[in-house]
Amino acid sequence: MEIKKLLFVTKFEDLCYDALNSLLALRKASLEHVVFLNVIERDKVAMQRGSGYLKEEEVKLKETANIRFIDWAENLFELGLEVGAYMEVSTLIPEILKVVDKESPDLIVIGHSQKGALEQLYAGSDVTELIRRTEIPILVFKHRIEDNIVPEKLFERPLFATNWSETGQKTIDYIKGMKKVIGEIHIMHVVKESALKSLDTHDVQKVRKVERKRLDDLCDELEEMGIHARPHVYVGDPQKEIEKAAKEYQASMVILGSSEKAALLERWVGSISKNITEKSIYPCLLIPGKKDI
Amino acid sequence: MSKKVLVVDDDPDVRSFVVTVLEENQYIPLVAQDGVEGLEMIEKEQPDLVILDVLMPRGSGIRLYRKVKTDEELKKIPIIMFTGIALRSFLKSQKALDEFKGGEVPKPDVYLEKPIEPDELALAIKKKIG
Repeated sequence: MEIKKLLFVTKFEDLCYDALNSLLALRKASLEHVVFLNVIERDKVAMQRGSGYLKEEEVKLKETANIRFIDWAENLFELGLEVGAYMEVSTLIPEILKVVDKESPDLIVIGHSQKGALEQLYAGSDVTELIRRTEIPILVFKHRIEDNIVPEKLFERPLFATNWSETGQKTIDYIKGMKKVIGEIHIMHVVKESALKSLDTHDVQKVRKVERKRLDDLCDELEEMGIHARPHVYVGDPQKEIEKAAKEYQASMVILGSSEKAALLERWVGSISKNITEKSIYPCLLIPGKKDI
Repeated sequence: MSKKVLVVDDDPDVRSFVVTVLEENQYIPLVAQDGVEGLEMIEKEQPDLVILDVLMPRGSGIRLYRKVKTDEELKKIPIIMFTGIALRSFLKSQKALDEFKGGEVPKPDVYLEKPIEPDELALAIKKKIG
C-alpha cells in the first residue's frame, strides 16, 4: 500500500510547515498529493449575545489560513507535488471525514502538541473519535517537549509494535509501501507478564523463542523488500515496554496496528494504542482495522 | 453570439465576483468549483476562455492547466490564471512536472494575481477573446 495522497489537518498552532517538511521524505516513496485542511471551530464565529454571527471573524480566520496555505502550497507546487486546500467553519471530526470522502487520502496527519490546552483539543477525544470512524491510517504528530520542534527524519528509525493481530498484516503492507523512505525499522512484540505467570524458566524461554522466531520471519520478509529490520522481544506491560523500546532505539516514530477486538470492547483501538498516542512523546502512526462503516 | 467563459475557483466569493464581471461584459459565465469539475466542464462545454484558480480541492489548477495544454483538442482554449499563488511558483511547478512527467507546457496566456479590480479582469478577458 503506497502513500500517494496525504491529508494534513492543522490548526497552525499544532502542526506547521516543519511537520509537513518532515513528511516530504515520502516523495521518495510515492507521495504525489497533499491536501490541507483547516477547521475553524464553530464557537470562534458562533452567535454571541449582542454580536450575532461573527461573519467578519470567519472571513478573517479563513483568510489567515488561506495565506498560510498559499505559502506552503507554493513550496510544494515547486517540488512538483499536487496540492489542495480546505478551510471550513465546522466541527473537526465530521469535517475530516467529509474531506476523506472527497479526497480518499492514504494517510491522515493530525497534530498533538504537548502543550496543555492544545493537548486537550486534539489528543483526547478527537483522535479517539477519528480512529474509531475511519480505516485510513493516522499519523499523530508530536512536538518534542524540550525544544518544541518536530523530528526531522521521521522515517529513519520507526518502531513497529506488533501484537500479531489481523491489523498487524495491514500495518506490514503499509510499512512495505514506505520501503524507500524507512532507514531501519525496529519490530517488537511485548509478551505480557500475565502470560508468563504459571510458566517455569524453560517455558518462558520457549515463549521468547517462539515470539523471536515470528519476529525473525517478519524481519526476513521486510529485508527481502529492501527494508532493514531488527527484531526485539520485550516482557511486561505493553505500554511501558513500547515506550522503553522507543527510547532505547531512539525511535523516530511508533507504529501501531489497532485491534478490532479491543475496538469493539473499548470503543477505541485498544487502550495501549490510546495511551501511547496520548502520552508518548513520539509521533504515532496508527493503522486502524477494518470497520463496518 | 456571446462567448462562454468558464470560471474554476473553489471560493464562492471569487466565483461570484468573476461571474458579475462576465455578465456585465456580455459573456456567458459557466462555473466549476474544483479541478475535477473544471475539466469535466471544459470537455463538455468547450468554453472560449477559462479563468482558473490554482489552489483548489480535488485537483489543482496546476494539473488542470497541464491537462488542457497537453490535450490536442483542448489546448487551443486560452486560459487566464487567476490566483493567489505567485507566478514564480507556478512556473517552477510546471518545470518540476516537465522534468518529472516529460514534455513541456507553454506559459499561461495571462497570469493575474489576486486581488484585482473588475476593470483589470474585464480588460484581460477582452484582450484574449474580444
